[in-house]
Amino acid sequence: MSQNNVAPLICTPNRGRWLLALAAACLLAACGGGGGGDSGSSSAAATPITPVPDGGLSQVASLGKKIFSDQSLSASGKQSCATCHNPDNAHAQSNDLAVQLGGANLDVPGFRAVPSLRYLNLTPAFFFASDGTPTGGFNRDGRVNTLAEQSERPFLAPHEMANAGRADVIAKLKSAAYVEEFRKVFGAAILDNSDDAFNRIQVALQQYQKEDTDFHPYDSKYDQFLAGKVPLNAAELRGLALFNNPTKGNCVACHLSAKGSDGSSPLFTDFTFDNLGVPRNPAIAATADPAYFDLGLCGPDRTDLSSRSELCGKFKVPTLRNVATRKVFFHNGYFKTLREAVSFYVKRDTNPELWYPVDANGAVQKFNDLPEQYRKNVNVTEVPYNRQPNMPPALSESEVDDVVQFLGTLTDGYKAQ
Amino acid sequence: MKPINLTALALAASASSSAFATQYLTVEQAQQVMFPDATGFRDVSLQLTGEQMKQVEKLAGLPARSVAWRVFAAYKGDAQLGSLLGYVVLDDVIGKFELISYAVAVNPDASIKQIEILTYRESHGFEIKSPAWRKQFVGKTAAAGLSIGDGIASISGATLSCTHVTDGVRRIAAIAQVALKK
Amino acid sequence: MKKNILAQAVALALMASPLAASASEAELLKRLDKLAAEVEQLKAELAATKKKTDTVEKRQDALAAAPVAPAAVVAASAGTAPAVTAPVSTAAAASPATMLGPNTVLSSYGEVNYTRPRHDSSKSQADVARAVIGITHRFDEKTKMVAEFEWEHAVTSASDKGETEVEQLYVEREFNNGLRAKGGLFLIPAGLLNTNHEPTAYYGVYRNFVETAIIPSTWREAGLGLSQTLDNGITWDTGLTTGFDLSKWDATTTDGRTSPLGSIHQEGQMAKSHDLSVFGALNWRGVPGLLLGGSVFTGKIGQKTPDFAAQDARLTLWDLHARYTPGKWDLSAVYARGTISNTEALNQTFAGNPTPVPSSFYGWYTQAAYQLWKNSDYTLTPFLRYERFNTANSYAAMPAGLAVATGPNEGVWTVGTNFNVGEGVVLKADYQKFKVDTARDRFNLGLGYAF
Repeated sequence: MSQNNVAPLICTPNRGRWLLALAAACLLAACGGGGGGDSGSSSAAATPITPVPDGGLSQVASLGKKIFSDQSLSASGKQSCATCHNPDNAHAQSNDLAVQLGGANLDVPGFRAVPSLRYLNLTPAFFFASDGTPTGGFNRDGRVNTLAEQSERPFLAPHEMANAGRADVIAKLKSAAYVEEFRKVFGAAILDNSDDAFNRIQVALQQYQKEDTDFHPYDSKYDQFLAGKVPLNAAELRGLALFNNPTKGNCVACHLSAKGSDGSSPLFTDFTFDNLGVPRNPAIAATADPAYFDLGLCGPDRTDLSSRSELCGKFKVPTLRNVATRKVFFHNGYFKTLREAVSFYVKRDTNPELWYPVDANGAVQKFNDLPEQYRKNVNVTEVPYNRQPNMPPALSESEVDDVVQFLGTLTDGYKAQ
Repeated sequence: MKPINLTALALAASASSSAFATQYLTVEQAQQVMFPDATGFRDVSLQLTGEQMKQVEKLAGLPARSVAWRVFAAYKGDAQLGSLLGYVVLDDVIGKFELISYAVAVNPDASIKQIEILTYRESHGFEIKSPAWRKQFVGKTAAAGLSIGDGIASISGATLSCTHVTDGVRRIAAIAQVALKK
Repeated sequence: MKKNILAQAVALALMASPLAASASEAELLKRLDKLAAEVEQLKAELAATKKKTDTVEKRQDALAAAPVAPAAVVAASAGTAPAVTAPVSTAAAASPATMLGPNTVLSSYGEVNYTRPRHDSSKSQADVARAVIGITHRFDEKTKMVAEFEWEHAVTSASDKGETEVEQLYVEREFNNGLRAKGGLFLIPAGLLNTNHEPTAYYGVYRNFVETAIIPSTWREAGLGLSQTLDNGITWDTGLTTGFDLSKWDATTTDGRTSPLGSIHQEGQMAKSHDLSVFGALNWRGVPGLLLGGSVFTGKIGQKTPDFAAQDARLTLWDLHARYTPGKWDLSAVYARGTISNTEALNQTFAGNPTPVPSSFYGWYTQAAYQLWKNSDYTLTPFLRYERFNTANSYAAMPAGLAVATGPNEGVWTVGTNFNVGEGVVLKADYQKFKVDTARDRFNLGLGYAF
């Protein structure tokens, strides 16, 4: 009758039993691997992930950090992830260009404004919810399902880091200062196969974004207010009330502001998509072609939903954390100030002439960044953009100011005086 | 019917009583509490005839339920020649889930003298044991005043226990009237 | 047996006869007549005894399938007539079907309801409100366990609206002085309904609002309890249990308005227990038919949840209740009030949302029922109830312009009747009229059972 959980050793004499137990213990210890891998690698790499003294990052994440700011991995030699996703500016752009310039000579314009890389680690893979709502995914059109997948395109896109291909990237990696570390972690022969090596780059970048709390510090004034540690001032509190009020700002309809039932901090997005009918931005070179339309979920970047015409014009609801640090707003960077963006929400329909061009006959070209047949997709039923031209906006000017004040509390790195 | 002495009776009673009884009173104690003047108790357990059972049902408004009933006659003085003080009838009913053992002291004229709860194990309704509740039965006959809502008040939260005990006492009062009354 | 006695009788008679051999013929005839009469009497008694035996045997068969606790029966009559005594007269009072074993009792209750809102018949609904199975098992004379399992709204799954839950699961031990201790998941002794909530125990199709919205019946907590009933009719009840978790409060929905405590209860479901709660209840039943009592339940509800703005919030819920049943009347009244302290900081984080945490909520009702008609198995008991409650009676102070309106003092009239069929089945019908939210006026029918 065996008392322990090892396979029954019913008839083994005592000494034999001890030896077997010892052997079993040794095997189990070996399987445990050296040290405790914390977050764990999502790849099939056999190397266990062990933390090293690099701010508590695992070796894989530490490599990811180096790759993230390695400008040599671009065609121009002057562009890394950090160039557009500046850690000092909430991992987003520091200039106020609607789209960034890339390519070998840093003169090829892009198509969409740079999103912040913060607070993405909890984004789910893209799926359609039981009521049909498209949810999750990375990029403004949710076209990839993991941070690892997302990191591929910037390396290869002609308007971004413009490498010729994966092999090109790996060739540059071989000259990097950290290449030996790369080999140590992923295997000496890893660089012999470009696809495998590139895959490891993606994994490393993903691990870096997941592990490094720089990407999700949760130390804004609002976080501390939720924990009962600091108060909001009167204007910020009014702004929060307007933000939450379903008959006023109703921002919480998409930008969730409350803690989850499991105590998780709010991310200010429900990962769904919305069509706001943002005005066409002539500052984007591609818009010179009148036939060019960026339709988000149904194209042109994303191709798998091109037949779903009701989704045309929908873009991902981004987090509002650090929104006050942004230099351009919405997917096409049309607005340059936060106040304008908030005003757009409440006055888009009451005063469309403020936002859209007027044609020769004096008619306002509302929703001009969508082809005619898709203009009916724009969301006109949810508060606050469910009004008519003769109605007052859902928020008055001072209320807009209050909301902007509140949004300022969502900036990371707040230190109470 | 032979007289059985008290000791044997007590032994028999305890031997037969439920191994699971949380007894507040033994049968013997109940007898003595209800007839303190008695010098002896004689087993007069009876078997109802078919005719008697019908009469009991008519009088009590519910079935006589069993043929056999455990009854002891309380005497003062000589068992054969002494005066009859009354009877002690033993019975069990289910409260809500559990058994309630109780004893009813009946006067020779078949009116209720007293009732005692021997065991009670429900989770609620222990107030059934309180003197105040049991006092409601004193002096009544099966004819009137021995029903919940009509002479006997229930205990909030223990309706089933009260109803079943009250029905049991009414039945015993009817049996006393039909089979014991002289 | 019959032949035996007859033979004996004849033999005795014959044996006695030599002594009277010299008696006259008339005497002999007289004796023969007497013998015949005695024989007739014996016959009659034998017939009766046989009939009784048959009845008793039938009863025994019925009971054989479910033996009852061996109550005192047999030995007392051991010395008397050879007739078989009726075993356990008790079982006839309880349906043998509930006994699963010598010491295990199965119980159950259920409700099926139909509701038709008066002003919007499109919301008419029929619902298997609850189906409950209970098991009580007695280990020995002092120890037992009680379990109750419930299915609400018929179907439970991720996409269905039903709920399956363990409503009670505790062990109770009785000590020699009548002191009882219990441990596990058990009902808190608050109000009249919480510990007595079978459909046959209350009037009206739906449980009253005071004891669902204010006292969150069926309210159970996990912990330890002690209680005792004294001979003067006082029962005291006290315990240390889990409490509520304020971090579950959802300010964006109306759940907290429907029932503040119902929206933050833990029900023994991986319950946060950093802050435990204590309760005490006192009930007096000294006068038959009268119950007077009250209870208090208090505990902190922040549970030291990390980064939670209401660490020091404390809930206190107390109630007073009375029930009086003179004759055919059944009168009852309950007053309950709850307070939650230290909610200012948390409510500020809910600014703009419709449902902040209330600082106080209360309710009371009075009810009168009268047993109008009774006929062997059937009982008709009409009733009338008026209740008044406010689930958001007051809020902690909020900065100017951000205050949320306190809840209305809702008043509900319920008039209807219970119709009992036997002891365990009840049919109900009632009409409910709401003073403030008149859209909720509704007509209800219900069927319930309990055993």
